[in-house]
Amino acid sequence: MISMQSTPGIDASNFVSSFNLAFYFMVGIALLFMLGLTVLMLYFVYKYNRKKNSKAVQIEGSVRLEILWTVIPALLTLLMFYFGWSGWKPMTKAPDDAMVVTSTARMWNFSFEYENGKSSPELVVPVNTPVKINLVALDVIHSLFIPAFRIKSDMVPGRETMMWFLPQREGQYDLYCAEYCGLQHSYMTSVVKVVSQEEYLKWYTDTTAVTTATEGSAPGAEGLAILKNRGCNACHTSDGSKLVGPSYLDLRFGEKLIVLRDGKETEVTVDETYIINSIYDPNSEIVKGYPKGLMQSYKGVVPEDEITKIIEYLKSLNEEQ
Amino acid sequence: MEEHRDDLASKTGMWLFLFTEMLLFGGLFIVYSVYRYINADAFHLAAHELSVPIGTINTIILLISSATIAMSITAIQKENKKLSLLLLTITVLLGLTFLVNKYFEWGHHIKEGIYPGSSALSLRGHGDVLFYGLYYFMTGLHALHIIIGLIFIGFIARMIIHDKITSDNHVLLENSGLYWHLVDLIWIFLFPLFYLIT
Amino acid sequence: MSVTAGMTEPSYLEFKGKYKGIFSWIFSTDHKRIALLYLFSILSLFAIGATLGLLMKFELIAPGKTIMDAKAYNAFFTLHGIIMIFAVVIPGLPAVFGNFMLPILIGAKDVAFPRLNLFSWYLYVAGVLLVVIAQFTGDQAPDTGWTFYAPYSFRTAGNMLPAVFGAFVLGFSSILTGLNFLVTIHRMRAPGMTWLKMPLFPWTLYATAWIQLLATPIVGITLLMIVAERLFNIGFFDPTLGGDPVLYQHLFWTYSHPAVYIMILPAMGAISEIIPTFARKIIFGYKFMVASSLLIAFVGYFVWGHHMFTANMSGQALYVFSLLTFLVAIPSAIKVFNWISTMYKASIDLQTPFFWAMAFILVFMIGGFSGLILGSLAADVHLHDTHFVVAHFHFIVFGGTGFSFFAAMHHWYPKITGKMYDTAWANTGLTVLFIGFITLYLPMFYMGVKGMPRRYFDYDEVFHASNIISSMGSWVLYAGLLITVINLFISLKRGKQAPANPWGGSTLEWTIPSPPPVENFEETPIITKGPYSYN
Ligand code: HEA
Ligand code: HEA
Ligand code: CUA
Ligand SMILES: [Cu+2]
Repeated sequence: MISMQSTPGIDASNFVSSFNLAFYFMVGIALLFMLGLTVLMLYFVYKYNRKKNSKAVQIEGSVRLEILWTVIPALLTLLMFYFGWSGWKPMTKAPDDAMVVTSTARMWNFSFEYENGKSSPELVVPVNTPVKINLVALDVIHSLFIPAFRIKSDMVPGRETMMWFLPQREGQYDLYCAEYCGLQHSYMTSVVKVVSQEEYLKWYTDTTAVTTATEGSAPGAEGLAILKNRGCNACHTSDGSKLVGPSYLDLRFGEKLIVLRDGKETEVTVDETYIINSIYDPNSEIVKGYPKGLMQSYKGVVPEDEITKIIEYLKSLNEEQ
Repeated sequence: MEEHRDDLASKTGMWLFLFTEMLLFGGLFIVYSVYRYINADAFHLAAHELSVPIGTINTIILLISSATIAMSITAIQKENKKLSLLLLTITVLLGLTFLVNKYFEWGHHIKEGIYPGSSALSLRGHGDVLFYGLYYFMTGLHALHIIIGLIFIGFIARMIIHDKITSDNHVLLENSGLYWHLVDLIWIFLFPLFYLIT
Repeated sequence: MSVTAGMTEPSYLEFKGKYKGIFSWIFSTDHKRIALLYLFSILSLFAIGATLGLLMKFELIAPGKTIMDAKAYNAFFTLHGIIMIFAVVIPGLPAVFGNFMLPILIGAKDVAFPRLNLFSWYLYVAGVLLVVIAQFTGDQAPDTGWTFYAPYSFRTAGNMLPAVFGAFVLGFSSILTGLNFLVTIHRMRAPGMTWLKMPLFPWTLYATAWIQLLATPIVGITLLMIVAERLFNIGFFDPTLGGDPVLYQHLFWTYSHPAVYIMILPAMGAISEIIPTFARKIIFGYKFMVASSLLIAFVGYFVWGHHMFTANMSGQALYVFSLLTFLVAIPSAIKVFNWISTMYKASIDLQTPFFWAMAFILVFMIGGFSGLILGSLAADVHLHDTHFVVAHFHFIVFGGTGFSFFAAMHHWYPKITGKMYDTAWANTGLTVLFIGFITLYLPMFYMGVKGMPRRYFDYDEVFHASNIISSMGSWVLYAGLLITVINLFISLKRGKQAPANPWGGSTLEWTIPSPPPVENFEETPIITKGPYSYN
């Protein structure tokens, strides 16, 4: 876990120092006031205890004091505001020469698309290059949060938003979804890998990366790798257990399945067309007993040739038994 | 416990309540203006599809009914119980007519397949979806207020019959009048927003 | 002022009205009985909400699944949040102590609309029932968090309709209580009680009532829109139909930020009653205390955007919200300074309520300052939706409103029940509770700064150690609360008879017998002096 260590001198991103300034300034003032006021209170309670002081002196107040303790906190809070504002201002505009990555969030995974069409479940960026991330959410609101970089931005469906940062130290950092988005919200995590320029270039130009991470050569291994990469397994299992959607194991090719179409129960045969339809238009046919509206269409995301491989894998599941 | 009467308190309470009602619709007016701002053209076109004559008739109906309930208060102050009851009955009838009109208006749109969630509506684009969504929601909520108002007036009429409301104790009647004026007032806002501004 | 000697009139607890048994309570329009109805409903709900919190802390003691799965956890914090916010702390002080004490403190026989008052309680119960029904019907318990953010709130399979509608009904109950108090304060003050002779607790209730009246309808309509959205697919906040989910957040926080001042203002008011009573001294800067209450209520309307710093609003709006957030802290600061100054040259009687008030000031400062940190743009971008926020609001909601609730409970217990409680046990309870409280919530600040998001069922190993400490704190807290509550319950039977004025207070409630007679005052008091006139 490298993420939060402040190794020699260099901050993980350009926003760390402005956060620290704003944060520790306020913590300092807070401690000062809290300590002072607590001590004062305890002192009064001790000094003016009824056992020692049986008669109170009636003091109605003091306008001078009231002004004093209005003005001083007001000035201090203005300063607090200023540090917060000046640290935040640069976040709103990315430098023109920033490299652009598009992050797409859906329940419950992130994917990162690069300008050459490369897509990755992890964010890989070169050190010392400003990175601008266009944020896209497909279903509900998510939020991209990289604690080590001290930045976060909501991803709102239907809105174009962005965030940017300058990674300054190589390493691997956690990346979280910070806006509650349903069942697997706490598993909607990934990592940021900040690597050297050379390493990045090597990674960036290697376009085979996604599907070669095969799990041996068992039948359907490629399909399984695709399911993993696309985040399907966040909701579907291979062992028959129920997560959010139905398990892959319940798909018996050639057999009938009861689904809800337009709210009416209908029988369909499990075949290739059914699988393709379930991926491209998931809400048109909902397996009985499952809620509607949770899965978004993967049309244009998962190409047909990947689906063929997925089907290969799905078929292999029931053959094994 | 002997409850002492404080008409001013009762009226103040009613005014405050009306204030919250206004804010309730106020929230909707904010939503309306935001979406109108985003979808100016679609709202513009969709407004043409509403029937201005029916809207106008309904506006007139409500205005008259506001007048009749106000007159009913004057009548009770002058100890004319019969006239007061008659005017209340007219108010109720006018309210019912409003609802019947509304029923036909909604029914017409629904027959054309224009209602929230319908496929015909979803084909027409975001602006229309929002316009009709707001239209049904806001006029629906308003109609609900009319219904509540009618029930309220019904109870008041019963109290007048049983002499629970008299010339020197008519704050409840006044409150029902205030409520009815509010319902009227909200319609005065709804009418131009949906039917007239095009 | 008339001090009633002997108990000629029956007390409100013994009074025999038209109805018997339980009906003499649930049909009663006596503000004191209604206050107790609220007290018991709220305490029961608090016990449920707190137990949910305890179970969540069990779950979080280690990464991965401990005692429940993610589905249950999500349902738990949703129910915990809804109960605690809408059914415990928002009605809390106004509905219980406001109802009981407001008429007495201003020298009235009851609130302006006693029947409406009872009706508010019915609405409250109905709202709570709806929320509870939502848990046990439908496919799945609601799982959106108490904020019901769109579009998730109409995508989820959770049974949202009754829950959201329940919150709407609870809102209406709150509006009617506020309306009742406003009219009561305007119309029913005893002769001679000018505005500036009114005690501070009624003043804070007055400011609160305005917020209830002006802000609650907005959330009411917003929740109704969510209901409509789920029922008819209207598209108000659904991006696929052209709606704007961020608009939902604006509407929600337009109410829910002012709502946090609904929670804290009466809490501050109760503390402002307790400190002068035990210091035997006039409150320092009475007029500034009044003004700051009104100021908090007013400025509180314009800062809601600080919950949405990362939601991508337009840039300009953001720093206006940040600036105003800092400004709203100043009237709170004025209050803290005045409370402490009241102790200067006082004659302090260290009783349990005073200890609670001191504990309140401590945790309120921690909660308040953490709020300031969140109000700072650069800091909030990192801290938003982490456990730092969770720590902030538990410090200020539980630590502020909750502690003040218990302070008020110990302060007015003799008046309400006619019994004294066991001071030694009460102080022990507070000490244990305080230690547990700090152990539970302080580590959450640390976790938040380290980046642990909130509403996380599972977390990274780095957060493990602090979570263990925090979870253990919840057990200590539990013990402390149990001691406190059990002590109060036992004292109902065993406690000594309470005199009319056990603490030597100078406000009107101490001039009548404990427990008060049905009509509060035998003859209407005539007010000639300010509320905290000692000597
Ligand atoms: C009782 C309820 C209550 C109260 C009173 C407050 C009070 C304040 N709150 Fe809090 N807040 C909540 C309940 C409350 N809050 C809740 C429930 C949430 C989370 C909602 C959710 O998302 O679920 C929240 C969230 C929240 C956020 C959003 C965080 C996020 O999601 O990113 C912010 C940001 O600005 C904030 C700020 C403040 C501030 C500045 C105050 C100020 O009013 C505090 C003022 C007090 C002091 C400052 C201390 C006393 C003063 C002194 C000792 C004198 C010295 C002072 C100076 C030198 C200035 N709060
Ligand atoms: C009044 C407000 C209030 C109070 C008092 C509490 C009290 C507690 N809360 Fe609460 N909490 C909220 C309001 C409150 N909470 C809100 C609004 C949220 C946000 C929800 C959301 O995200 O949507 C939240 C979220 C929240 C989370 C974050 C979940 C997440 O984001 O992952 C956690 C996790 O630890 C937590 C824990 C606790 C604990 C351990 C307590 C404990 O302090 C409880 C203490 C009490 C006990 C442990 C014992 C109880 C006593 C008895 C049983 C005695 C019997 C009583 C009688 C007979 C009357 N709460
Ligand atoms: Cu995505 Cu939380
Ligand atoms: Cu706020």
